[in-house]
Amino acid sequence: MCSIHPIRILRPLFLGLLLCFQSGIAADENQSSVEPVRQVVARAIAASSSSEQRAIVLSLKSNPTPEAVLWLNKWKEGAVFLHEDEQGTVTPVLLTGEAGSDDSQEVVKLADGTPFVGADGKPVRINPKEVEAAETDSGLRKAMKEVSDIAALANPDKAKRVRAIQDYAIGQNVEKLPALLTLKQTEKDPDALRALEESIAIIRLKSATPAERAAACKTLGSLHSLAAKDMIRSLLTDSEKAGDAVTASAARQALKSIEAHISTINAFGTAFRGLSLGSVLLVVAIGLAITFGLMGIINMAHGEFIAVGAYTAYLTQNLFASGINLSPFGVSISIPGFNFASGGDLYFAFALPLSFLTAALVGLVLERSVIRFLYRRPLESLLATWGISLVMQQLFRLIFGPNNVQVSSPSWLSGNWTVNDIVFGWNRVFVIGFAVLIIVATWLVLNRTPLGLLIRSVMQNRNMAACMGIRTERVNMLTFAFGCGLAGLAGAFLSQIGNVGPALGQNYIVDSFMTVVVGGVGNILGTVISALGIGLADQTLQQYLGNPVIGKILVLGAIILFLQWRPAGLFVTRSRSLD
Amino acid sequence: MSSSPVTSRIHGPLLIAAAVFLVVVMPAMNALGWVDHFTLNLWGKYLCYGIMAVAIDLLWGYTGLLCLGQALFFSLGGYMMGMHLMLMIGKLGAYKSDLPDFMVFLGHTSLPAFWKPFYSFPFALAMVFIVPGLLALVFGYLAFRSRIKGVYFSILTQALTYGAALLFFRNDLLMGGNNGFTDFRTMLGANLRDPNTQRILYICTALLLVGTVAGCRWLTRSRFGLIQRAIRDSENRVLFSGYATANFKLFIFVISAMIAAAAGALYVPQVGIINPSEMTPDKSLEAVVWVALGGRGTLAGPVIGAISINALKSWATRAYPDLWLIILGGSFVLVVMFMPKGIIGLPAQISGIITRLRRRRQATSPETTPPAASTEP
Amino acid sequence: MSQKPFLLAAEGLNKAFDGYKAINDLSFYLDEGELRTVIGPNGAGKTTFLDLITGRTQPDQGTLVWDDGKHDLLKLNEYEIYRLGIGRKFQTPTVYTDHTVMENLILSLAGPRSIWHSLFGKLTSDQSDRIAEILGTIKLTPHAHRKAGTLAHGQKQWLEIGMLLAQEARLLLVDEPAAGMTDEETHRTGELLLSLAGKHTIVVIEHDMTFVRQISQGRKVTVLHQGHVLCEGPVDKVQNDERVIEVYLGRKSKAA
Repeated sequence: MCSIHPIRILRPLFLGLLLCFQSGIAADENQSSVEPVRQVVARAIAASSSSEQRAIVLSLKSNPTPEAVLWLNKWKEGAVFLHEDEQGTVTPVLLTGEAGSDDSQEVVKLADGTPFVGADGKPVRINPKEVEAAETDSGLRKAMKEVSDIAALANPDKAKRVRAIQDYAIGQNVEKLPALLTLKQTEKDPDALRALEESIAIIRLKSATPAERAAACKTLGSLHSLAAKDMIRSLLTDSEKAGDAVTASAARQALKSIEAHISTINAFGTAFRGLSLGSVLLVVAIGLAITFGLMGIINMAHGEFIAVGAYTAYLTQNLFASGINLSPFGVSISIPGFNFASGGDLYFAFALPLSFLTAALVGLVLERSVIRFLYRRPLESLLATWGISLVMQQLFRLIFGPNNVQVSSPSWLSGNWTVNDIVFGWNRVFVIGFAVLIIVATWLVLNRTPLGLLIRSVMQNRNMAACMGIRTERVNMLTFAFGCGLAGLAGAFLSQIGNVGPALGQNYIVDSFMTVVVGGVGNILGTVISALGIGLADQTLQQYLGNPVIGKILVLGAIILFLQWRPAGLFVTRSRSLD
Repeated sequence: MSSSPVTSRIHGPLLIAAAVFLVVVMPAMNALGWVDHFTLNLWGKYLCYGIMAVAIDLLWGYTGLLCLGQALFFSLGGYMMGMHLMLMIGKLGAYKSDLPDFMVFLGHTSLPAFWKPFYSFPFALAMVFIVPGLLALVFGYLAFRSRIKGVYFSILTQALTYGAALLFFRNDLLMGGNNGFTDFRTMLGANLRDPNTQRILYICTALLLVGTVAGCRWLTRSRFGLIQRAIRDSENRVLFSGYATANFKLFIFVISAMIAAAAGALYVPQVGIINPSEMTPDKSLEAVVWVALGGRGTLAGPVIGAISINALKSWATRAYPDLWLIILGGSFVLVVMFMPKGIIGLPAQISGIITRLRRRRQATSPETTPPAASTEP
Repeated sequence: MSQKPFLLAAEGLNKAFDGYKAINDLSFYLDEGELRTVIGPNGAGKTTFLDLITGRTQPDQGTLVWDDGKHDLLKLNEYEIYRLGIGRKFQTPTVYTDHTVMENLILSLAGPRSIWHSLFGKLTSDQSDRIAEILGTIKLTPHAHRKAGTLAHGQKQWLEIGMLLAQEARLLLVDEPAAGMTDEETHRTGELLLSLAGKHTIVVIEHDMTFVRQISQGRKVTVLHQGHVLCEGPVDKVQNDERVIEVYLGRKSKAA
């Protein structure tokens, strides 16, 4: 259940609900013993005084069907019109069919849904601008609300029912208690039962007898009710003021239990957010762990390769939709799109490999033209790649404009999953899953492919590998391209959770370098651990300081102190030569 | 390290002539109206950058420490001076309050305690050196003690700068946030908008530059300079010659931070604004470009690089605003790849190529066998 | 536990690199004024042993004390150990390639090592004389102003020995001084080391058996094997020791 996406669940449920309506209507028509709901509503509308109307509406409380709510809402929204014939008989009707040339429409009778035929045998037409709609006053609307509240409690959709039960307790109205108690006798679903228990207890906090109040506090405490926290707190102040020791101590106990629960939730929530931030760091740093860690190339343009991937995702998206329109250097280019109807969700599957390939290709060009001359000069490679990063950023600006571009997220990234009051957003779950995928893929490439074997041998001993007949030039080229491709993949991934703009890469470059340095250069496992560690530390500090910037600065400080303890990072690669 | 140091080829007399030109001739021409105020002010800015470039070179070119946090020290110096200048605005600000405008805007009613001493110019001047120096001392102590070097040092200093910039962008630091400090009026009682004041500031900058270059020349030629370059080339070996390299590096790091801070302190009253965008890692890297272009491991090189790139920038950002970053980035790549010794090393590089070509021609003409391709330096 | 004052005493040293035991329960005692030769096959732990003494590597276990136990070398770092008077010549010649020969010697001169001194200290006439003398000894007088990186391999070895001399160390640790030298140069190196014996305490690590015989006549030789002292004694005795022949001489005789 939980692993299925909400939208996919809701759609069939919604359809089912409609079917219920229709069959319900049919059933009502066949039952002559009970007056059909719509007929009751029609009678209410036609009733002469508003108190009579209210009484009829309230009678619906005994049969709180969704249908009743439907018709009452039509009434409230002004969709029911009153047709008055020559005899003065008032008939509530609903508009139907197409509007004619004079704006008038055919109507059906609200009472039974049959077409309303006038005395002349012709269908009656009504111009909604001329005929008045059935009106409601505040008393009536309140009555309607009571009916719909009770109807919501009977909603067959569990999630909506639970929600209704929780809403029912708002205001702590003791009069509402019987409805909940009735429902409790028939309710089977454990979630709904839990909600019922919670709501009943919340209302009972207002009970007149101290023992009942104390019992309610106890229940709420054992339920870890977050909703009741403020109410219990005000109960505590009130009872302390009133000298009600029994209630006060129960409230105190309950608060303690709820607060303990809250801190557990926060701890889990922080850990989860930290894990997902760590995953983001990991995804953006893994490419760097290859180029910097394995090759010793300080690629300051790494962030721009991330942006290349993100822009590729953007282009793919547009290609699947309405097409691409760009005007770099005053030349306007436009490529027609495929206009796929399902492009919104489909394009991402293509964007991922394309981002990897595009970034890898750009990386290949960069390696051949610049990087290969700088293998033994790490500081110079840092400077040259910074120059390249400036050029690339400006090119993005010229091609795609200085502002962020829109990359839509597939709809399935927006929901969440709640377990025991802890919210797991789908986007964060996606982030973690994606990171796992990339790590596994990278590990497989490095350890299970011929390229990986070549990469590892060249990185361990360049000269020896060359002597063994390995074409180190080619391996360098492919390794660098692989690292850049991973950056591109990270870009496609980041396009789903953040803005895509020319400075996208700049936001991540410092963090990625820190991750690789802390992990220990040349060690993928170290990078994984350090990314998760930094992510967790960052989120924890943020949670306790309530300030993201100070948290970030403290993390930087912590990294510097960490390097006091392990100057070469978590995992050290030893060498015997001096320097 | 790949290249041998280009020892200063600009000889004494030439250096003195350049100093006289910058300190005496330029301001004199300005006073006579031959050089307009705008140009002189622009040159004042360039020279500030030149001083910062020398500070970077002292670390990078001579000691092998590529610090990407020099813009931070420069800005900190600027901020310290800026605090004094902000207080000197007095009631002349937009809100007619004794408090700096941004504090009024943020709803403060009294001056925070740490601002109060900055009413005193000597205190502000001391802080210009103490704050960046202390930061360099603490950071450097931690970094050098754990023997962080090479690219790790660069990355950490970059992170330091990044963190500081994040901090200064915040309003609750009470350092002006995003907008920083601006709208200065007077300095030591002199109107900052008066050309005479600006000329004096220019002369101070030029003097500081000449003093810095002279001081660094002395420093790098002492035995300290020998140790510095030895650390650059083979730090571990220096340890085995009995020198506590960490102390030497720390000393030069603090000195370099203070030089950059002094340049920043002179920059602020001349340019009239200081904000956190001046202390981003990119600014440091840009300054490293000046050094690389001019020629690292020399003292004239960084100054030449700073002046020429900034002059180019002043022109290009107006003439080709869209292309400036491409020009800067591209030229940087080219310098790193093809001009490892920068402008200063260019004559030697060209003559080297010529002699190599000549030798090749001599070698090929009698025997017609091509010699083995010579490798890049 | 030692009855007689040792200059350097190592006891029970252990050092493993990722599971590989480079030094295994090594004990080693050195008297003041001795010229000790340490031989052993590749991987015997000779260089690692010097790394331990000079503070480049920390042992996992064991003690290492200096000057009759006055100093615990394990508590000191590289430059502090150097300042006690322990100098080292590395296996591959390690000189400051971008500095001139003269500058290399100036950097190595005995004397204060403070920043202050490096800024304001001047070269005294005694020190200049000393440098000139060393330059003569190592036959590099004509090359005094050449960059050390441009010297021939053998000359670099000599320069590094010269740097040791300039340091006026009590203990000279000399790692393979004859590597890459011609026979004549090797012989002269041997003579130089012999002339220093007595004035300084010297530990020489060497592979070249001719050279070893030249410098260790009547002196103690230590054979290392798998990070452990295999045997110790006069060179003739060691050469005839069966275990030594088996692990070292029999397999890898460089004696030419």
